[in-house]
Amino acid sequence: MCRHLVFRMASRQIAAGLQGACMVLLAAVMLVLTAISSSGWCNGPAGRLIIFHAGSLSVPFSQMERQFEALHPEVDIQREAGGSTKMARMISELGKPADIMAAADYLVIDENLIPEKASWNVRFATNRLVLCYTERSRYADQINSGNWFEILARDDVAWGHSDPNLDPCGYRSLMVMQLAEKYYKRPGLYQRLIEGRPVRNVRPKSVELIAMLRTGHLDYAWEYLSVAVQHGLKYLELPDEINLGNPNYDDLYAQARVRVTGKRPGTWIERRGRSCVYGITMIDGAPNREAALAFLEYLFDPEGGLKILAANGQPPIVPCRVSSQEVLHRVPETLRKWVAVDR
Amino acid sequence: MNGAALAFKGVMATGVLVSALVILLPLSELFVQTSLQGMVDALKDPQVLDSLKVSFSAAGLAAACSFVMGTPFAYLLARSSFPGKKLAEGIVDLPIMIPHPVIGIAILVASSPHCWFGRLLQQAGIEVMGTLTGITAVMLFVGLPFYVNTVKNGFEAVPERLEKVARSLGAPVHSVFFRVTLPLAWRSILVGLIMCMARALSEFGAVVIVAYHPMIAPVLIFDRFTAYGMRFAMPVAVLLIMVSLGLFVLLRLLNRPLRVGA
Repeated sequence: MCRHLVFRMASRQIAAGLQGACMVLLAAVMLVLTAISSSGWCNGPAGRLIIFHAGSLSVPFSQMERQFEALHPEVDIQREAGGSTKMARMISELGKPADIMAAADYLVIDENLIPEKASWNVRFATNRLVLCYTERSRYADQINSGNWFEILARDDVAWGHSDPNLDPCGYRSLMVMQLAEKYYKRPGLYQRLIEGRPVRNVRPKSVELIAMLRTGHLDYAWEYLSVAVQHGLKYLELPDEINLGNPNYDDLYAQARVRVTGKRPGTWIERRGRSCVYGITMIDGAPNREAALAFLEYLFDPEGGLKILAANGQPPIVPCRVSSQEVLHRVPETLRKWVAVDR
Repeated sequence: MNGAALAFKGVMATGVLVSALVILLPLSELFVQTSLQGMVDALKDPQVLDSLKVSFSAAGLAAACSFVMGTPFAYLLARSSFPGKKLAEGIVDLPIMIPHPVIGIAILVASSPHCWFGRLLQQAGIEVMGTLTGITAVMLFVGLPFYVNTVKNGFEAVPERLEKVARSLGAPVHSVFFRVTLPLAWRSILVGLIMCMARALSEFGAVVIVAYHPMIAPVLIFDRFTAYGMRFAMPVAVLLIMVSLGLFVLLRLLNRPLRVGA
């Protein structure tokens, strides 16, 4: 009897020991597997890819994210959108980690990120400013390229733009109105328009204006053409001489000047008018260089990312450009075949 | 003391220490790392002072509205029972559970000229988006539950038999409220107002959607943080914390238990 009890106790202990050993083995195998998968033993880009970009790129970039992640399931793209100036400052002043920065004004990258945080800048897309509205906006049925400035000046019309200090679309909107003053030969037009626009109609990010338009809090808003197309808004096209969309008119555009805040409160930078050119770069010391390069290769491909931009109403620059041979040398080798030098 | 009791006391003490650390460590680091020069600059900056002014006026207005609207509601919840009382209590608690941006979006949509309520407001000349009115509306939305719940507890603490005695002696209902209930519950009303104000002052996610300008202090802090970096945001943050701390110290002082016979 005693022997049976002892035997049963012993076998139970052996079973428990075997169970424990199995669990430890399983845990060890799982640990090794996760280590392998996260260390990139599997070939190809993997892991988190952090992209900071302009608010106006949200729709095309979200489509690119889906397409790219379908091609590279190991990569998890995490995007953060905002006024380009703000996003660039997050990298340069706050040291937020990011792999790629795409700005609505390529100068934002030149001024805020190069040379401390980045070393090259590729121009990949253009845009132009339009006046957006909905069918429920006041005077929507009357507005045209000959009377828009009169309609905006009316007391019962609410119109807005984004914050020039945080978003290139903001200072570009102001530039369009300055250029309009000269083009339509209406001295004092710019001042009159600005005075009639209360500060509550200014938002940090241009895409926020769309919510205002849809809910009727604003009748008109200055937006990029691509954003108007993507959100199904009605828009008024303006002459090339003032819409900041044609690089041939750069000298004309340069007549517009807007003062925006600098890197510290109380300091100012003067921005001169220029055609809307979007720039992109990979941050020096990016946490996931391999995935970043793979994404940029996909973006610069006219059949890849650039095609999605075109489909979303934003004319891409094909092929993408850099300003000089020197900059081309700083672009990573795998990307150089997609990039040409200006002129 | 035996081992179990000692262990129990040890666990309690550890709990207190860790909780205090969780709260105090980030705040104290903020204070320590903010330069004195930064604080001086912030106090002299008109934008900072304006934002504090906007924050306090809106929060004060919201607290005043809570007092007017919330006191009857709290009295009703404390004294009467009616079908759907549980639902009413749930509705009061609703703003606490809703994510803050959702509150902002809801108020924006309700005040839009495309909505019947928004049209009514427009005809009355009331602007919500980007105005002090809008900010106050948001703060009222988030602060009202705190006021109503605090004051309801205060009214419940007033023994109902005192009111009944007054009634039996011939006092009309409104007289009973102002001469019996209110004097005994005024402390909880004050605490409720402070809680409502404190909650309103710290609101960000809902306000930033309804009104970026005029800037309340939390929006200014966020704006400075994203535009200029931490160095310019921290002094304003420290200022706001000091004021909030002051409010809460006041709250605790007022919340001391009533002395017998007071």
